[in-house]
Amino acid sequence: MSLALNAQLLFSGVSVGSVYALVALGLVMPFKAAGIVNFAQGELVMVGAYIALFLSVGLHLPFHLVVPITMALAAGFGIAIERAFIRPVMRAPEFTIVVATLAVGLMLKNGVRLIWQDNLYPLAVPFSTDVLALGPVRINPLLLYMDGTAIVLMALLALFFRFTRQGKAMRAVAQNPEGARLMGIRVSWVFSATWALSTAMAATAGMLLGALFGIHPEMGHVLIKAFVAAVVGGFVSLPGAVLGGVLVGVAETFSGAYVGSTFKDVVAFLLLIGVLLLRPHGLLGTPLARRV
Amino acid sequence: MSPPQRVLILSACMVLLLAGPWLLGTYQQYLLNLVLVNIIIATGLNLLTGNAGQISLCHSSFVAIGAYATTLLYANVRLPFWLALPAGGLVAAACGALLGLPAIRLAGFYLALVTIGFLEVTQILVHELASVTGGVRGMLAPRPSVAGRLLATDLSLYYPVLAVTLGMLYAARNLRYSPLGRAFDAIRNSEAAAQALGIPIARIKLAAFTIAAFYAGVGGGLYAAVVGFIDPVEFGLWASVRHIIFIVVGGLGSVTGSVLGAAIITGLPEWLRRFQEYSDFVYGGLLLAFLVFMPRGIAGALADLRRGWHRSRARVAAIGSPSQ
Amino acid sequence: MSRTIVTLAFLGATLGLGVTLPAHAVDGVSDDTVTIGAFGPITGPAAFIGLGGRDGMNLAAKEVNAAGGIHGRRLRILFEDDAHSPSRALAAVKKLVDQDRVFMIFSVAGSNSTVGVIDFVKERQVPMYVSIASAPQVTQPFSKYLFRGGTTEAARYGEIYSEFLTQGLGARRIGFISGRDEFSKNEADAVIRYLRSWFNQEPVKRVEFNIGDKDFTPQLLELKQANPDVIMISGHPAEGAIILRQARELGLNQKFFGSGTMVDNSIPANAKSAAEGFMAAWLTPLYFGSRHPDMVKFETAWRREYPNMPAGRPNVFDLLGYGDLHVVAEGLRRAGPDLTRDKFIAALETLRNWRVSMVATPRTFTPEHHIGNLSLQIMEVKNGEWTPLAWESKRPSDILKHLKK
Repeated sequence: MSLALNAQLLFSGVSVGSVYALVALGLVMPFKAAGIVNFAQGELVMVGAYIALFLSVGLHLPFHLVVPITMALAAGFGIAIERAFIRPVMRAPEFTIVVATLAVGLMLKNGVRLIWQDNLYPLAVPFSTDVLALGPVRINPLLLYMDGTAIVLMALLALFFRFTRQGKAMRAVAQNPEGARLMGIRVSWVFSATWALSTAMAATAGMLLGALFGIHPEMGHVLIKAFVAAVVGGFVSLPGAVLGGVLVGVAETFSGAYVGSTFKDVVAFLLLIGVLLLRPHGLLGTPLARRV
Repeated sequence: MSPPQRVLILSACMVLLLAGPWLLGTYQQYLLNLVLVNIIIATGLNLLTGNAGQISLCHSSFVAIGAYATTLLYANVRLPFWLALPAGGLVAAACGALLGLPAIRLAGFYLALVTIGFLEVTQILVHELASVTGGVRGMLAPRPSVAGRLLATDLSLYYPVLAVTLGMLYAARNLRYSPLGRAFDAIRNSEAAAQALGIPIARIKLAAFTIAAFYAGVGGGLYAAVVGFIDPVEFGLWASVRHIIFIVVGGLGSVTGSVLGAAIITGLPEWLRRFQEYSDFVYGGLLLAFLVFMPRGIAGALADLRRGWHRSRARVAAIGSPSQ
Repeated sequence: MSRTIVTLAFLGATLGLGVTLPAHAVDGVSDDTVTIGAFGPITGPAAFIGLGGRDGMNLAAKEVNAAGGIHGRRLRILFEDDAHSPSRALAAVKKLVDQDRVFMIFSVAGSNSTVGVIDFVKERQVPMYVSIASAPQVTQPFSKYLFRGGTTEAARYGEIYSEFLTQGLGARRIGFISGRDEFSKNEADAVIRYLRSWFNQEPVKRVEFNIGDKDFTPQLLELKQANPDVIMISGHPAEGAIILRQARELGLNQKFFGSGTMVDNSIPANAKSAAEGFMAAWLTPLYFGSRHPDMVKFETAWRREYPNMPAGRPNVFDLLGYGDLHVVAEGLRRAGPDLTRDKFIAALETLRNWRVSMVATPRTFTPEHHIGNLSLQIMEVKNGEWTPLAWESKRPSDILKHLKK
């Protein structure tokens, strides 16, 4: 295929990859701070999209208000879930926590489906969606917004973890909750803050996904690819999550074009196995000492 | 419990298991068969996850492999069903060993994701080999027969399924107390310590994957016989999640837990039918409530209860003895 | 002691036999009610099928009951969820037949769930009326207990779509993009089969996608290279809307034709201008919002019954369930006051082009075939709204011809 086609594929791949990356960033957070892998993250993305839908269609709010209010509501929602369902099982075996997040996801998806059913809703955005032609490559500007948001969020989070007191507290809790408690860090506050942050991120991803692809109860399905992206990137690394997302997206798009769409879904896992065999802790991850 | 007591309870249970279904209609008999099948599936997963500590999100793939292999061997190759069933289990076990090869190097969520990848591949294979598997349209699975007699009703199918289930449960129980079972426990508790004790970790993990897949495969073969129709959607990611729910609700690492978890989680959606479209929502809520109140599952809660009872009895005995 | 157990077991066994023996009267029929058991998915990703089907049929039952019922009997509907799973569908139908003792089964379920229960209803000789599933096993081989209503044969989609694509649109080079789920795959397979056998055409390209995909660039670029005149999308609105938009973005300016499920207001709402001129086939003569009095009457009644439903409802399944329950009611009416299952089946077989109103296609059943409907209406998005096209199929269907052989 020609250079132009490859360029088009590359752009699509990177854009799909930034969808994965956005969701993956939200996954990395609770794992970094509390060692929790949140299987409800996909549903939190969906709930964020529906909150935005309700604000813009139900309450007729303008878009520049919809975005911050959605993020704030989602953050509150995240704290509520953490307090009500996750904290009571924090001391239970790892599996119980996994199943608890799955159950939360199941309830969210069914709750949303009971209210809005399976209609595909568009989320109106006040940006131009006219296609840009960059030479032979055609670009939907919304995709550029998405790529940009993934990069900016990653950078903001990295700065937050590195330079702010709260970010440092989260890292301390992740390394050693008991030690952090002894240092005067309020561990329970850190857990809540992590959930607030990661649900707000999920809501951001949900709004972008909704604007681009429509809002639907099954949109959280993107979670599995986001998982692959996060693990490829190292699971504790924020730049790793973005890099992993982009790699998975590009690999899928190119294999879809050159190998065929049948095995497009397997490619992500082949990439995963390849990376794990060469670098067992992901591309940008560091080997974690097992907590005993 | 005194030996005569135990015999009495056991025989009462046997009578209930053997005669009870006669009192039920086909609907309940069918559900009973599904419960038995799910008990086999849950027992296998519990050996892998509860005992050997390995996470798997592709248990439903082995169920699928067993279901398709058994049905094809029985319907197309015309093997007798009771040969096709273990053969299907062995095919699943072979696939389990195949997955085990890369999986033994991984742990935790890395392993979970690789198993999801395996599930995707199985689904794609079922789709792509449509000429044999029926693809997305699924395929009808004929009823098995015993000694030339077709097991046409749910009741007639119940007894052989019960026999297989009891056999598999007995084997699982013995396995837990065998050297292999102890090695599973050692690996779960600490791989480093197990290695220091000279336990061949890789081989033991491989054995765990193979055995779990065999259980799933046999469960799958019986599932096909009980339901009479199989399609790939029945063996998707959600099915694997349900299998994990079986053992988490029942209790990790406990055979009793597998039985109770499979029975309760199979029956729950049927009981929730009255909630119509709200049933899945209620299901999620009940599940959460359950996890919050019994984080170690029913078997864990029962063990706590028994321990509490023994302790209080011991205390009563301790208080009572000086006065004697 | 062992004798006691044996006696008890024996008693239990006799009791069990007593329970499972059929009652004397016809199941599900009393002096003042006829009980109909229905099933379909109302939870999970396919819930839109069963919720629509259930609500549509409940509305029809309410209308029948408000008009005094049938021969003094009210219709009572018991609905069970199958979660789009054949094993749960079988549990639902066994419960309905065995425990609730319904007169007949009404399926608003998907194809695999419906196929999974066929053997059981045939064995129990319970009539099953299938409203939505298009799987061929419902009508072939012929069983007197199985009827197909509003939806048509999977093969009939192939016939009409291939005729419309080649004759209606004059396409010589047809490309396909189809989902990998049961419905989409069956549909695309059927169209390609009839393109070959009726019009001697090979598709220039067929590409596939997965449910939940967000990017279709590789598939669309492949299609673009094959340079078709018309592209057929087999799938659902969630993917279809993105495909339409991305195709225009990538410079594919061909005409697009889609699955019946894509006749949905979410397509113009999401794909916006990219949906203009998009065509698909609809299972009833009128679309929602039509000013035809029959549709106005249906929509008014539906909204009165279900005032707080979200956008996207009523959907095609509401219409199918509604139209088909009225067909069942007509069958019960014609069966007379001494209702039996055989009389009901014979009565349904006397229907010729019967329909409750223009919101449904006419149904015909005979003792030779139970294929109720063979017609489809082609629709097109004009100015953001679905409007019926005047095109009608001219080539007679092979399906009934094959049956007579």
